[in-house]
Amino acid sequence: MRGSRLNAEPTDSARFLDPKALEKIGNLELLARTVVEGFISGLHRSPYLGRSVDFAEHRAYMPGDDIRRIDWRLFARNDRFYVKEFEADTNTSFTTLLDISRSMSFASRGISKLDYSRYLAACLTYFSSKQRDRVGLVTFDEDIVDFVPPSAKHLDVALHVIDRIQSSRRGALGPPLLKVAEAIRRRGIMVVISDFYEEPESVLNALKILRYKGNDLIVFHILDPAEIQFPFEEAANYRDLETDEAIPVIPEYLREQYRKMVGEHIQTLSRSLGDNQIDYALFDTSTPLDFALFSYLSNRERLSRVR
Amino acid sequence: MMGLSFLTPAFFIGLVGLAVPIIIHLTNREKREVVAFPSLMFLTKIPYRSVRRQKIKHWLLFLMRCLAVVLLVTAFARPFLEQPGRAVASIGGARQVVILLDRSYSMGYGDRWARAIEAAHGAVDALAPEDQASLILFSDRAVVANQPTSDSVQLHALIDDARLGSGTTRYGPALQLADKLLRDLDLPRKEVVLITDFQRVGWDGHDEISFPSGTELRTVDLSDGETSNVSVTGVVLEREPVSGRERVVASARLTNKGAQVFEDIDVELELGGRPLREKTVRLEPNSSVTVTFDAFTLPEGVSRGVVRTSEDALPLDNTFQFVIWPGQSVSVLILEGPGAPSGRGLYLRQALAIGDRPRFGFDVKRSTELSRADLRGRAAVFLNDAPPPSNAAAQLLTEFVESGGGLVIVLGTEGDSSAWEGAAAGLLPAPAGVPVDRSTDWGGTLAYIDYGHPVFELFSSPGSGDFSPARFFRYRPLVTNGSVRNGKTLARFDDGSIALAERVLGDGRVLVWTSTLDTAWNDLALQPVYLPFVHQLVKYAAGYAEARPWHSVGEVLDLSRQLELTGSESGPGSAEVVVITPSGEKTFLSRQEDRQLVTLEEKGFYEIRYLESDAAGPLSLAANLDLTESDLSRLDPEEVKAAVSSRDTDGIQTAGVGTPVDQDRRQRVWWYLLVAALVLLAAETFWSNRLSRLAR
Repeated sequence: MRGSRLNAEPTDSARFLDPKALEKIGNLELLARTVVEGFISGLHRSPYLGRSVDFAEHRAYMPGDDIRRIDWRLFARNDRFYVKEFEADTNTSFTTLLDISRSMSFASRGISKLDYSRYLAACLTYFSSKQRDRVGLVTFDEDIVDFVPPSAKHLDVALHVIDRIQSSRRGALGPPLLKVAEAIRRRGIMVVISDFYEEPESVLNALKILRYKGNDLIVFHILDPAEIQFPFEEAANYRDLETDEAIPVIPEYLREQYRKMVGEHIQTLSRSLGDNQIDYALFDTSTPLDFALFSYLSNRERLSRVR
Repeated sequence: MMGLSFLTPAFFIGLVGLAVPIIIHLTNREKREVVAFPSLMFLTKIPYRSVRRQKIKHWLLFLMRCLAVVLLVTAFARPFLEQPGRAVASIGGARQVVILLDRSYSMGYGDRWARAIEAAHGAVDALAPEDQASLILFSDRAVVANQPTSDSVQLHALIDDARLGSGTTRYGPALQLADKLLRDLDLPRKEVVLITDFQRVGWDGHDEISFPSGTELRTVDLSDGETSNVSVTGVVLEREPVSGRERVVASARLTNKGAQVFEDIDVELELGGRPLREKTVRLEPNSSVTVTFDAFTLPEGVSRGVVRTSEDALPLDNTFQFVIWPGQSVSVLILEGPGAPSGRGLYLRQALAIGDRPRFGFDVKRSTELSRADLRGRAAVFLNDAPPPSNAAAQLLTEFVESGGGLVIVLGTEGDSSAWEGAAAGLLPAPAGVPVDRSTDWGGTLAYIDYGHPVFELFSSPGSGDFSPARFFRYRPLVTNGSVRNGKTLARFDDGSIALAERVLGDGRVLVWTSTLDTAWNDLALQPVYLPFVHQLVKYAAGYAEARPWHSVGEVLDLSRQLELTGSESGPGSAEVVVITPSGEKTFLSRQEDRQLVTLEEKGFYEIRYLESDAAGPLSLAANLDLTESDLSRLDPEEVKAAVSSRDTDGIQTAGVGTPVDQDRRQRVWWYLLVAALVLLAAETFWSNRLSRLAR
């Protein structure tokens, strides 16, 4: 679903799990399992060919190949050395990069963007772990806050970190993502979850570093419905959650221009990220989590086959 | 049809309260709450508009609140339903008309008086045969010219006979008189016609006048839009004796109460009917100027003077009359002891020689040589540090004092206190005691002075004379038991002894000074206050008062006192006094009366002559206008109308319009309005609470 945006309104809300309902589940692993259960496994493939149960092809033995991979039955039939090759679909690294800056703590009603992102990160991590991927986690604001390197044994650690994250500082994409690119050298899948309150150009610059390292990059843009619709009525002083700067605002005068600017920001992000083969998806916090995941992952699977 | 009126319409000022709901509804929306928002990244890029178009949000609530305010205010204004009966009663029937005609001298401005007469005739012409009318002529006083009459011929004649006066305008007495006339006669319709120039100075608004209900006050405003008036407001005469004659410098003050500039006004000084000096001045708008004429020598006898300016629209205040009396002299006899040293009376004689307003003419004589002839024509006698007079001398002095003379006894060093006996003791307000010697304690001082007494009144203001530096080393106090005979204590020393006491004896008075008036027993003679003190002492003892060069119209004078002041008293032969007014009218007064009172009603010179007497020439008095009338500022006629409009609620009853029950019923509207307002406020409370809950 590259460059597309999910609808805020699910078609059949009974099928999906409301984020507000999920909020009541205290155990994050249980929550992730609840969401992920029923998902199709193996939606993504490893970028590497390796040892696996899924046979890929035979090729002629070349000096240096591991002699344990020689297919002796085939040698017995035609007296030639052939080695077996398998698709390695279970050993990729899956890292979630979660923005926990103070702007993520905003909630117009229901759950905050941070909670929504937390559930999303938990679900993805759990889901990937079930796929036998190595799972890692990075939380960041203007710097890296928590770093859990990708590992097949790090599901519990990652979920624990996700469970106790707090937003406290202002955010910036560039510096922490640069550090992540330097720290994680093995290529893998990286999911960046943020509200992206930066100019599209600087967002792209920050993400491109990860992309150019050969990672498969997926971006989840999380916004509160109020940030998109700007439904406020009363004139008030609006205070920036990150800078504490305040300005007087009369919503009825600003609403249309605001909506237009936010729309343009989303479109620019979507287009420029797509141009750089980075998957982009916008979720608002009223969208049911499993609906969002399902819609996104199924679309991604379909597109990856084409790719 | 019933009309709606209000008993207390002033409460409508409470409609200002409508601003409260408007402010609440508009400003409440502007309250600045703080809203946390993830990022102002986009908001800061949008041009900021700080002022929003104010819109009222909850119209129903707003209208309820406004309506509640209006109902409350209307209820407090006490509305009532006017019945048409009253109006009907005032439509038909005979009228009682009172014509108030202003004859103050400001009506002489331009053609005001002619227009006033014309308006008065017009008011008479408008009378129906059954109407009754009265004419009141007023200035500062009001006079009823006739009792209510239907005779228009008589009324026209009275109006024609009316003359412009010299008085000032006062509306109060005239309106009160009109009110009295209206209440005396019971005709169904009452009307007052006020013909005046509506001068602001004539109305102080404090007169409690309320015409009977239903009275119509019709005003005829004769004021002019733009007025200009030059008046002579006063004259100052500075007199100086030169070579046995008096030189006088006269200064006149001119005032322009108008917006017009007067170029080259001629100001003329007349004396004895002949022009004496002339000057030309320029007078700016709303300003004053003082014109000082060259000095002139005062002729013998009484001189009449006039300061006159060029004619303007109000000529009456363009002249100012005054009378210059020849310099007055107070004749004083100083009696000294037979063996008194020559320097004893030096300070006293020097002090009396200096006086010129009035001059003091004095003779010095031995007290033992006093005769009746010495006292003739004297105003005061000084018994200056002389031994107590003999019985015969004391008898003469007693007669002198009883007939109005003044005696100043300076007890001093001479004689023995016990020698004051017999007739001499009768002169003193209290027996004289033995001398007190204060030389051992640096002398005594004057500790109490009655500054309210004419002798010391001159020194009552701060810095106008200080008696405290004077030291009294010896004095001969009066022995009293707390009070003095027929008199009072005027000054005391610091030990409580009397320094100066007064005794009234017949028409005259005796003043006793218990120390000396030279430096023998004190150093008062060396103090600056000595000279004015001695002058005051003599003037008071002699009963001296200065004759005024002019009076104001409206003053009431006691002629006998005036004759005394000017030294114009006649001999015993004159029995009657005739007063000739400036217009030539003669008034006869009997001299047998205790007080001969004359009211100065005209501007100009009054002449007073004695009949059957060979006394000196006639006495002249100058009367000038009260210049408050020269201020022609206009009063709004509506102010007078509002002040005299009826507050007489009984009038409704007497007109047969309704009973108290009816009145109560018609005034009950306010009660319903109040209930409606309370119901509305209750509904408003309910509705606003509901809106608040919804908003949460």
